[in-house]
Amino acid sequence: MTTRAAWPALPALILLLVFFLFPVVRMLGFSVEAGTLDWYAKALGEGLYLRVFWNTFEIALLVTLFCLLLGYPLGFLMATTTPGWATFGFICVLLPLWTSVLVRTYAWMVLLGRNGVLNRTLMESGLTTDPLPLLHNFTGVLIGMVHVLLPYMVLPIYGAVRRVDPAIPAAAAGLGASSARIFWRIYLPLTLNGIFAGSVLVFVLSLGFFITPALLGGGRVMMIAVLIEQQVRETLNWPFAAALSAVLLVFTFAVYAVAQRFTQSEATR
Amino acid sequence: MDIKRPHRRHVLSLVGGAAAVGVSGRAFAQAEPPKPTQIVVNHSGGSMGTAMRKAFFNGFEKKYGIRVVETSPVDFGKLRAMVDSGNVEWDLTEIGGQDAIRASKLNLLDKVDPKVVDRSKYPPTAQNPNVFASSVYTTIIGYRTDVFKGGTHPKSWAEWWDVKKFPGARSMRNHPTDNLEFALIADGVPKDKVYPIDFDRAFKKLDQIKPHVTAWWSTGQQPAQLLLDKEVVLATGWNGRFYDVIKKGGPIEIEWNEGALKQGSFAIPRGAKNPYWANKMLAELAVPQQQAVYASELGYPGLNLESLNFVDAKVKPYLPTAYLDKQFWISDEWYAENGAKAQELWNAWMLKKA
Repeated sequence: MTTRAAWPALPALILLLVFFLFPVVRMLGFSVEAGTLDWYAKALGEGLYLRVFWNTFEIALLVTLFCLLLGYPLGFLMATTTPGWATFGFICVLLPLWTSVLVRTYAWMVLLGRNGVLNRTLMESGLTTDPLPLLHNFTGVLIGMVHVLLPYMVLPIYGAVRRVDPAIPAAAAGLGASSARIFWRIYLPLTLNGIFAGSVLVFVLSLGFFITPALLGGGRVMMIAVLIEQQVRETLNWPFAAALSAVLLVFTFAVYAVAQRFTQSEATR
Repeated sequence: MDIKRPHRRHVLSLVGGAAAVGVSGRAFAQAEPPKPTQIVVNHSGGSMGTAMRKAFFNGFEKKYGIRVVETSPVDFGKLRAMVDSGNVEWDLTEIGGQDAIRASKLNLLDKVDPKVVDRSKYPPTAQNPNVFASSVYTTIIGYRTDVFKGGTHPKSWAEWWDVKKFPGARSMRNHPTDNLEFALIADGVPKDKVYPIDFDRAFKKLDQIKPHVTAWWSTGQQPAQLLLDKEVVLATGWNGRFYDVIKKGGPIEIEWNEGALKQGSFAIPRGAKNPYWANKMLAELAVPQQQAVYASELGYPGLNLESLNFVDAKVKPYLPTAYLDKQFWISDEWYAENGAKAQELWNAWMLKKA
């Protein structure tokens, strides 16, 4: 980027600097206000907080995996089907994005409960005798989060598949390649960028999740954002909240950096 | 505010002032500060906001011609940030009991003006100089009436813990407050002797009930919903949330015995833009007739003890003030000191595999 090209971006850069970067730095400053790293020692030294960081990481990883498994076929289909079906797919993917997370979370409570729609259907059809434990546990949180975050996986993958020159798979098919081979040798390598972009988005967004785990997890699934919120709003221990946030932030950057390396090495190959 | 064109409004208010003097000479003597076009009242929102509008805000707007702008939610962190930064958006805010004590200590609150707000009919415990006690609420047992017929429901915390005699899924709040107390009472501690809380004993007792709690609730509407969805058959919850479902004919009833009473409060943030009018609003919140309207809507009675005289006989059994001696008061002082520690121990306990 030349210096001249940077000028039009200046207002946005100033805006980010003043209203985003400065408050973040100021907030993180709380954590070392006392001149010691005690709050970091607490965040990283006590079993409780390490456990919750690990829980958060584990959930984010699983959510990303499920989003990928569900999102790739969907994004692929939308990119390769007729325009009419693609539009329909977009509506299905985007509509939930415009609905409040709280509403969607409550909707899942209605669907997944012991006497919810899903369990009643399963029991009435004789497939199960007892209600499946889908709500107020890890499963519920996973279902709810995958639903909320799926669009962030589908859209980058859709974009990546669209960018594949249709002549390449056509040529491969003409030369007798099976569709499985076309997928593994052409589509997958060429859409890795989209997969990484979607995965990073979903993973990073998962790390900060808050309402969904509290409601669908029945209190049993604790994520770090919940603890940070407690420190900010209930305990008013802002230095400790800042330390927890800093650890989360560094961790998020690390994940981003690793993913970035992967995508770049793929792109320059 | 438009400072450059004060003339017309100034003239109008002078005319208004003169008219007021004509009606009663006192208005002039009091030298009221100029009326703002609006004041901002921050509260929990939801059905509480609707009831406050009906019982208090509409009347205030009509009386003074000042619009009441409502915001929510209640947020202690935000209050502190506002006062610290000197940019106080709220003229009046609802505040939790222990938060009010901590806010007073942090010097975040203005005094309630005794010349404007009449609290002579309030119990002495509810006359904190910085905090206006607006209502009483309690955490009690809600149960499904089709599961526990004819008074066969648990009537104490000891019975709540007795899962053999009272089988079925339960829901409790995902928070140390209430639960630590309930555990101690279930373990035989008299309800006026729970403080200071013996953490070891409380958590040991909580270990016993943990496998039987299907959902640990985190928002106020969850307990009633969990009962309605038959997700659980017993739930602890705030009385007003159950009252709302009962009023609509839902299959739920309340057991008041050993409930945990708390005081809902309002306070004026230090540096609020219109402290005088915030006090005027508090005066409105103290009117017994209006408190009765509010209590009938939500089941949360005010602390002006005269207000019970204005409540319908059908509503009275659903007000926690009718059962004060069966219940106990949560100690805000204890939580102001030990809340952080309790929360941390609670988190650790929740993470522990049962």
